[in-house]
Amino acid sequence: MKHQRREFLKLMGVGGAFTLLPISIARAAAPTSIEDRAHYISASAGDHDDFYVSAFNANGKILFEQALPGRGHDLGLRPNHVDVAAVERRPGLYGLILDRHSGEIRAKLHCPEDRRFYGHAVYSNDGRFLYVTENDFDHARGVVSVWDAEDGYRRIAEFDSFGTGPHELHLMPDGKSLVIANGGLHTHPDFDGRTALNIDSMEPNLSIIDRHTGKLIHQAALKADWHQLSIRHLDVASNGTIAAGFQYQGELTDQVPLVGLWQPGSEIRPIEAPDNVQLRMRQYCGSVRFDASGQVFGISCPRGGLITFWDVKTSGFLTHIAAPDGCGLAATDVAGQFVGTSGLGNGWRMDAIRRKRVELPDDSLKSLHWDNHLRRISV
Amino acid sequence: MPFLCHTRKAALLGATALLTVGLAPPGARADIPDENYRPVLEHLLGVVMPPKLDALHDATDNLSEGIDDFCAEPDQDGLDEVREDFHAAMDIWQEIQPWRMGPLIADGRDQHIEYWPDKHGTATRQFRKLMFDKPAIYTDREKIAETSAALQGFPALEQVLFDDKLSPKLLDDDEDGVFLCGYGGAIGANLERMTGELVDEWPAFAQGMMEAGPDSMDYPDAKFAATDLYRALHEGLLIIVSQKLGRPLGDGPKDGKASRAESPTSKRSLRNIAHNLTGLFAIYDGKWGDTGEEGKGLSALIDSSLLDRSFRLNWQTMVDALDTLPPSIVELLDQPDGYQKLADFAGQVSFVNTLVEGDVGGTTQLGGGFNALDGD
Repeated sequence: MKHQRREFLKLMGVGGAFTLLPISIARAAAPTSIEDRAHYISASAGDHDDFYVSAFNANGKILFEQALPGRGHDLGLRPNHVDVAAVERRPGLYGLILDRHSGEIRAKLHCPEDRRFYGHAVYSNDGRFLYVTENDFDHARGVVSVWDAEDGYRRIAEFDSFGTGPHELHLMPDGKSLVIANGGLHTHPDFDGRTALNIDSMEPNLSIIDRHTGKLIHQAALKADWHQLSIRHLDVASNGTIAAGFQYQGELTDQVPLVGLWQPGSEIRPIEAPDNVQLRMRQYCGSVRFDASGQVFGISCPRGGLITFWDVKTSGFLTHIAAPDGCGLAATDVAGQFVGTSGLGNGWRMDAIRRKRVELPDDSLKSLHWDNHLRRISV
Repeated sequence: MPFLCHTRKAALLGATALLTVGLAPPGARADIPDENYRPVLEHLLGVVMPPKLDALHDATDNLSEGIDDFCAEPDQDGLDEVREDFHAAMDIWQEIQPWRMGPLIADGRDQHIEYWPDKHGTATRQFRKLMFDKPAIYTDREKIAETSAALQGFPALEQVLFDDKLSPKLLDDDEDGVFLCGYGGAIGANLERMTGELVDEWPAFAQGMMEAGPDSMDYPDAKFAATDLYRALHEGLLIIVSQKLGRPLGDGPKDGKASRAESPTSKRSLRNIAHNLTGLFAIYDGKWGDTGEEGKGLSALIDSSLLDRSFRLNWQTMVDALDTLPPSIVELLDQPDGYQKLADFAGQVSFVNTLVEGDVGGTTQLGGGFNALDGD
């Protein structure tokens, strides 16, 4: 891949001046697909430790690149608003609020000294509050911080995540509660902030809390034998079904499920793919996304170079499509259809029902390594 | 390595580290053309592996026949012969085992052929019950395939043929002896059936990989297909370090336990690893015993002769170290310095695996990936 454009980019840390890339191409390209006029947005990286939030259209044409001070991860989209929240990958120090159409920085989130961001954020339905997963590293405790978007993104509260190492979180369909994937991994900045310090004793769980009071409403964990299955990523269907992807911290050859479905109030139902796919998932799921119908969900497995697709109704494996280093996954507005991105710079439109994969035609997409998560912005 | 003098060996061993450090980041190098990966796939999957699967099938066929012949007139010589047949079949299985892909893993086949590691002692528990109840299904050559994976493959047969308490019963014409013979025969037939399926299913699987292209939902390009071979090499070494050696080594000298090793009863835990290394090196080199051709494996993608020779020398050093150890971890750990020798060997394998990750993975452009290495 060639990244000549980024040679000149040198960013300052949080609090410094950010360079907004020239965006001559921003919104210049007319969407060419009648079926999909949406834009897609994701954290990305160049070849020289240069990191961005980047958007592209349905053809894969890059619309803007906004440089970041460090590697991003996921993005939170503020409903009915231009704001996009980008919090740094764990152990993160910065959080930025960007304009989804231009990448322009609109606000900054300052992480308290005794906390670290964990890469995921989500807004309330009314767009007023932003919720961010954080690590209270001195107490090995996960927290969810609350930021008031109508008050300059002031940090106004902090809730317990009811677990260690919280990662992805989503708003539940009732709009009143948040589901949090507590990965169970304790990390500390004194040990690089990423190395797991409690592999033998980790206790991952899924927790649902009241987003106003922080009170725990539901919680579920996998059976004790599977305590090394870190629950890190999830998505929520409109009916409240939660799909989760796991990352196994044990042996490569251990036979463990890597996917689970959860109806709050019941147990997590683990599901597996056929052996030849299950092994190729390489004990690691990168992102989870329901399709437009809520009946199919995709789980990316970048270590195996696969996107796996699952059927909610049967709680079973549907199919898989090879996607080298593929991880980012967003649902289009067509049932069973997704757009995926890869660390190699590819972008695909994938159909889980017909088992089809089509490469996005515009080569500009290939100038970047696309990070873990992809979001779709309706235009 | 007879072809190199000591000084040159030392220089080459050191060269690897320098080359590793000196490697440019993948993004700065020209991409290897996808067509370059295709001959490697065709050689390893189409030329090298099929005769090895045939050899495995032949070996299990021979084992199955050997058990039947022995059981017709059981005596110690016959038992010794069957044990040799077992070793011959295990030798070739251990060479194939690390190629964890396609039909080898479909429907849990590798675990049915050899259920290991058995973390919870399932086989021991079930075996005890089996000998007490003697259910007919375990002597049924068809239906044994429906039973627990722990009781239908090599480890179960190992108990029958090598266990100090059980194997002498094979020579007795009593209820236990008759059951064990019937059970051993059923396992032999089951192994022959499964390895026959491997032979049958491999060509279509290999064809799918060799024909990698944009229309394939499994292998969109040859490089991606070749990644599975690289992974087999990398993960094969990881499994040797973390499980085949890591389990008996435990948490320290006081925790070392040979019974946690693979095939402890037939006393061939390290012999298994020697054969694993043969099968794994074939992925790199392209030659596997009398099959294949040197330089047509992943090494064909390495454009530095120095790096290639350095890797080969480091590999050979590891193999030479293994050659100085007995075939059995039981025997090794009985020696006063046995634990340390085993730990040292594990360190050597681990080092070679860092070369696979750095040199082989980097130079062939098959290792890692932006998201694959992320860990989030």
